[in-house]
Amino acid sequence: MMLALLVPSAFSGVAVALAIVVLLAEFAMLRAPFARSQVRLYAFQSLMVSGLALVVALHTGEVGLYVLAGLSFCIKVVLVPAVLGRLLAGAPRDLAGSNRFGVATMVLVSIVAAVVGFFVTQSIPVTHHPLPASALGIATAAILVSFLLVSLRSDVVSQAIGFFALENGVSVASLVLAAGLPLAAEVAFFFDLLVAVVVFAALIRVHHGRAQTLSTTGLDRLQG
Amino acid sequence: MPGPTLPVAVIQVLQVLTVLLGAPLVSGVIGKVEARLQGRRGPRVLQPYFDLAKLFRKETLLPEQASWFFLLAPAVAFTCYLVVPMLIPVLTSYPLPLGYTGDILGGGFILALGGFVVAVAAAESGGPYAQLGSSRAMTFGALIEPTILFVTFTVALVTTTDLPYFEAAAARASLAQVVRPAHLLVAVAFFLVVLNDTGRIPVETHASTLELGMIDEARTLEHSGPPLALLTWGSAMKQLVLYVILINVFVAPWGLAGSQSALAVGLAVLALLAKAIGVGAVFAVIDNSFSKLRLFKLTEFMATAFLLASLAVLVAYLGGG
Repeated sequence: MMLALLVPSAFSGVAVALAIVVLLAEFAMLRAPFARSQVRLYAFQSLMVSGLALVVALHTGEVGLYVLAGLSFCIKVVLVPAVLGRLLAGAPRDLAGSNRFGVATMVLVSIVAAVVGFFVTQSIPVTHHPLPASALGIATAAILVSFLLVSLRSDVVSQAIGFFALENGVSVASLVLAAGLPLAAEVAFFFDLLVAVVVFAALIRVHHGRAQTLSTTGLDRLQG
Repeated sequence: MPGPTLPVAVIQVLQVLTVLLGAPLVSGVIGKVEARLQGRRGPRVLQPYFDLAKLFRKETLLPEQASWFFLLAPAVAFTCYLVVPMLIPVLTSYPLPLGYTGDILGGGFILALGGFVVAVAAAESGGPYAQLGSSRAMTFGALIEPTILFVTFTVALVTTTDLPYFEAAAARASLAQVVRPAHLLVAVAFFLVVLNDTGRIPVETHASTLELGMIDEARTLEHSGPPLALLTWGSAMKQLVLYVILINVFVAPWGLAGSQSALAVGLAVLALLAKAIGVGAVFAVIDNSFSKLRLFKLTEFMATAFLLASLAVLVAYLGGG
């Protein structure tokens, strides 16, 4: 009995599996009813991204990728979730109902976005990279689903988490496209993330202080 | 393997007999495991056989509106569940002659036909709960259908055919094939399909007596006597058939007979029942660990299964997975 497709190598299989878990975590964030579970899912997703960086580092031997995996773990798995956890300490627990659509509808819309992401990347002529092409499709799908998370959930925490998760998608894409990117450039990305954390932290604090809620549904007018 | 060999036709019949006679045993063991998990002693593992014998001895009562179809439906459904074991790798790793007469889609159609005739019979019975169950079963059956299609697409992408024997052979070819992302995703998606089609939590409480929460279980409420025995037996067979597909095609296609040796086939029967009981125990643990989803939340469950199957197709199609 002949197989139509070649079985992927162990490295490809593990790398793609990790990328898929990153994407599935994105979907889980989309349907998570509580802000705290979204933060935990973000930490888990970041752990998978760190793991992916480590796997690529083991495969390519790039020292910079080991540092990247370590930095990613410290900042995205430990620091950012801790900051968000502190911010949410005094927030209301129940965020159910912050979805603009039903969960099943959001998942179906996100599947369409993911499919678009998969097929769009097929036209990008990337030929020399350590990860299989489908990982780039998965990363693009994760980015598009992050956009949906930001736009379909009407609470400020989901929007912040969506933005951070989008950065995780970009990290996976950068591992596919430019795994040997200079460490200085990678560290610059982390500073971008830290700036975003500070901005969103201020936004969450100010919004909660003024409106006594994390929902953004009341923000429908511009005031001069 | 030394020893007497069996003709292929006999092995083909043995596949059907294994499912026919083994299904109540698997149901009995699962019932026992469930009872133990709930701190009860539970019924004997052979209780389903006694229940069937009792039902076959009882008289048949018919609703006033029921036609000949109401009586025929259980027999048609039972026959459907007898046909599917001819198409799937129940005992052998090599395809038997009738194994080529239907693919995964064909097997799915036959299983769906069995469910459809029971639903039609329930609808014409006039019983409100039976009609409710019939309507729900058809609705949720349609919602899970895309997942089954995408599972088939993934199998087709991996093996260039959607014959279950070939997917099982692909999985046996190397461990890398089993742990490849597309295979794992499609296995989990099919696992969710089995949860749905066997009426297990989080979709349905299969042992519930609350009619308002029923889906599949409600369809048989108006049946009695031998037709109910056929439906109960058929339901156990459908469960075992789905377990066999899950085990012998996706998850653990090992322990099948590689030759026509009587000993190998006999061992394959024991291995199959052991694996099916193992999977049934997993389902029993899930049954006792999670709560049932509210009816209108079931679409989320279906969407999750569809998501996994879609990702399986995409990574298989684009390569690297």
